[in-house]
Amino acid sequence: MYKTITHVAAYGALIILPTFVLAHEETEHGKTAESPRCEAMSAMDHSKMKKGDPVMQAMMKKCMKTHANQPKKEMEASHQQSANHKKEDSHNH
Amino acid sequence: MKRVLFAVIFSFGFGGVGYVVLGLYPIGADVPHTTLTYGLLEFVRERSISRASQDIEVPNLESPDWLLRGGADYNDMCASCHLKPGKVESDLSVGLYPKPPNLSVIHTGHTYDAPSVEGQARRQFWIIKHGVKASGMPAWGPTHSDERIWAMVAFLQRLPELDSEQYQILTARGEGQHEHH
Repeated sequence: MYKTITHVAAYGALIILPTFVLAHEETEHGKTAESPRCEAMSAMDHSKMKKGDPVMQAMMKKCMKTHANQPKKEMEASHQQSANHKKEDSHNH
Repeated sequence: MKRVLFAVIFSFGFGGVGYVVLGLYPIGADVPHTTLTYGLLEFVRERSISRASQDIEVPNLESPDWLLRGGADYNDMCASCHLKPGKVESDLSVGLYPKPPNLSVIHTGHTYDAPSVEGQARRQFWIIKHGVKASGMPAWGPTHSDERIWAMVAFLQRLPELDSEQYQILTARGEGQHEHH
C-alpha cells in the first residue's frame, strides 16, 4: 500500500513539475503577449538615431515583422468573416 | 589588563549570542539593517560577486536579436522589481529589502569601485544566473540557458538609455518573435 502511494506521488510529481518549467519557456509567455506599438516610431526624433545602433535595428526588425504579419492577419480575418457570412446565408435559406 | 580584555571579549560574545538566541534581532523587511550590518553585507556581496565573476568571458552583446530576446525576458521576469522607463516604484520595489536597484536609470553613486562596461556585464550575468542569497534575487540559471541570460545582459546594457516607447517596442513579445537564432 505504502509503495503504491509512493509511486502515485512520484508519477504525479513527474507530471506536474514539467508544467512549472514550461512557464519559463518563451513560447509560453507568447500566448499572452502584447503587440509592439510601432506607430510610436514615426513620432520619434530620427535625427538622433544612428542607423547602425543595435537598439534602432532591433526596433526596425520588430516593427517590420509586425507590419509583415499584419496584412496576413487582416486577410485571415476577412476570410473568416466571409466564411461566417456564407454559413449564416446557408442557414437562412 | 589581560583580565579586563578577556571580560570585555566575553561579555560582547555572550551578549551577541544572547541577542540572536533570544530572537531580539528585527528580521522583518520593513526594519532596515544597522549601517554596520548593511555595510558589512554589501561588502561581502560585492567581494563575492567580483571574485566569482572575474573569469567569465563576455560575448559580443551588440546584437539586435539579443536585445529583442533579452528585452522580452526582462519585461516578464525583472521589471516588476527592477522597474522600467517611466516607472519609479512598484509594490515589490517598495516592499523588498534590500531595495532592488532601479535598472532603468544610470547609477552614478557606486559604493565600491564602478566596474568597466565588461566588468559590469560579467557581474550582471553572474547575478542573474546565480541570484543573491536573502535578497529576493532568484537564480535564473537552473531554468534559463546561458545564451538567454546573456541576452538579458545585452538588454540591461542599453536599458538606461531607452524611453518608455522604445522600451515597449523592444520588450513586446507579440507578432512572431519566437524565431530563435
